[in-house]
Amino acid sequence: MTRRPSWTQLALAVLGAALVLFIVGPLLRMLLMASPASLAQAARDPEVGGSIALTVATATAATAIAAVLGVPLAYLLARRRFPGRRVVQGLIELPVVIPHPVAGIALLLFLGRRSAIGGVLADLGLEVVSHVPGIVAAMLFVSAPILVSGAREAFRSVDPKLERVARTLGDTPWRAFRRITLPLAGRGILAAAILAWARSVSEFGSIVILTYNPKVASILIFDRFTVFGLSAAIPAAVLLLMLALAVFVLVRLLQPAEQV
Amino acid sequence: MIQLDRLRVRVGDFELGEISFAVPQGGYALIIGPTGSGKTTLLEAVAGNARVRSGRVLLHGEDVTQLPPERRGLGFVYQSYHLFPHLSVRDNIRYGLAGGTDDGTARRAEELADLLGIAHLLDRSVRGLSGGEQQRVALARALAPRPRVLLLDEPFASVDPTTRHLLRRELRSLHEREGVTTLQVTHDFDEALRLGDLVAVLADGRIAQSGTPEAVFRYPNSAFVARFVGTGNVLAGTVHRTAGRPDGQPAGPDHAFAAQFISGPLVLEVVAEREGPMHAVIRPEDIVLARGELPGSARNRMPARIVRLERLGPVTHVHLDVGRTLLAAVTTASAEEMALAAGTGVTIAFKATAIHLV
Repeated sequence: MTRRPSWTQLALAVLGAALVLFIVGPLLRMLLMASPASLAQAARDPEVGGSIALTVATATAATAIAAVLGVPLAYLLARRRFPGRRVVQGLIELPVVIPHPVAGIALLLFLGRRSAIGGVLADLGLEVVSHVPGIVAAMLFVSAPILVSGAREAFRSVDPKLERVARTLGDTPWRAFRRITLPLAGRGILAAAILAWARSVSEFGSIVILTYNPKVASILIFDRFTVFGLSAAIPAAVLLLMLALAVFVLVRLLQPAEQV
Repeated sequence: MIQLDRLRVRVGDFELGEISFAVPQGGYALIIGPTGSGKTTLLEAVAGNARVRSGRVLLHGEDVTQLPPERRGLGFVYQSYHLFPHLSVRDNIRYGLAGGTDDGTARRAEELADLLGIAHLLDRSVRGLSGGEQQRVALARALAPRPRVLLLDEPFASVDPTTRHLLRRELRSLHEREGVTTLQVTHDFDEALRLGDLVAVLADGRIAQSGTPEAVFRYPNSAFVARFVGTGNVLAGTVHRTAGRPDGQPAGPDHAFAAQFISGPLVLEVVAEREGPMHAVIRPEDIVLARGELPGSARNRMPARIVRLERLGPVTHVHLDVGRTLLAAVTTASAEEMALAAGTGVTIAFKATAIHLV
């Protein structure tokens, strides 16, 4: 049955369409700006290639650390009631509201050579600030909330009664987790990890303060823009955009249809 | 055998107990009670999923109160089955057989699938199964590891009435074949009458009454149980002594005496054991009904007006107005023979001994 849309619906549609255009328009424009030749050239540029490789590697490391530390926490937050649970939940999401340069400065103060922790790490041979670990630290700080909250929702979507059934069928808590909860929450956790990874790849504000060199992709683009101008920045920007879009499609494919 | 010994369980603000109840080896017991009475909590306590505050749970004589669920040897079927959605029907059924040989577990899964008529579904995903099919898979999964005890939480609540009747019959015969001690939770006393050897009525976290379903149905020990199991007419009123024993003799050691039960405008002849405010329970089948005079020796007889007729297959429920509302049950054949209709005046009669005072 088709109904004639009312004026209200029409107005809502127009407002929504304006916003969608505002998001799609600039991206499309930029994609069209870059000629295939300039893209190929950018892809062959060792500095661009190196920085994208560095970005992928550091984002992957940050995501792995976030997963190892965050997935168990997500399970606890989803399944257990413990004192301070709401506080922990709030703290984990705190980085979302902190301006990224502020996060960068906070991390600099916390992990710099003159800080207690930074000093110990430096004595162990792990230089953080102005080195690759600084990139990973900044990425971890901004992306961990995404992974934890996504994994928490994935665990929450698994009915705890399924675990109880598994327990009555002879599973220890760990076995029930491994055979039931993890497989069922797996897609959701993977989607959360990919989103966290993408968030790491797109990070700029805190990395620029913590580790300007070696340059991750976002900093390289910023650098080319400020030093050589707009047209020098576009090919690398388009390459990064294409990487982001590929990740975006992957996440959409992983999500169950009803949530898309 | 399941023994609950002065069991007390607390879940949130809800307190269950003290519960003492025993299901004999190979028996089939039902816990019935309204929503919020603690039925499911009781079942979870037997399974080891609810924290026991005091008391003990014994399975086949072994104290399992401190054991985790996986070491209690149970099968548990939840109301909405909770099949593992990422596994096939076969892998669901075999889930609890992880320790055995592949050959043995495959045979057991197929044996149960045959018994439950789901052999053709074994290689299907559990998504898209009908309610009745899911129910059968859940039963097979719970029974596969040959549990000592089977726990069922409202297992027929989510299937249509036809499937429910069929499943009840299958479950009963499966129970006899496997001989597994079974404890089921339901809110439906009809189910208890059809399935159980033993029934316990739960109210506000306590057992209000337990016994054979027939005994609980015939002799409810409280107005709550009478109303809940649908014994029929429950009237609040007061008992006044009128004489010695009903046969005219002075009250004997059994303390019974003839009395009147007064409920508003209604005065009934009863046999009582004590005076004061009580409830009178009268089963609809015990009320005899006729147009005109009624022969017989029943001491309670009075005119009544039919308010409404409710035909339930071979039985017709007659809602009567005698100053209080009463429910009588007659066969549909005799209701037609007497041409009963709303508004008709009739005479009703019932024996003093048919009134059960609680």
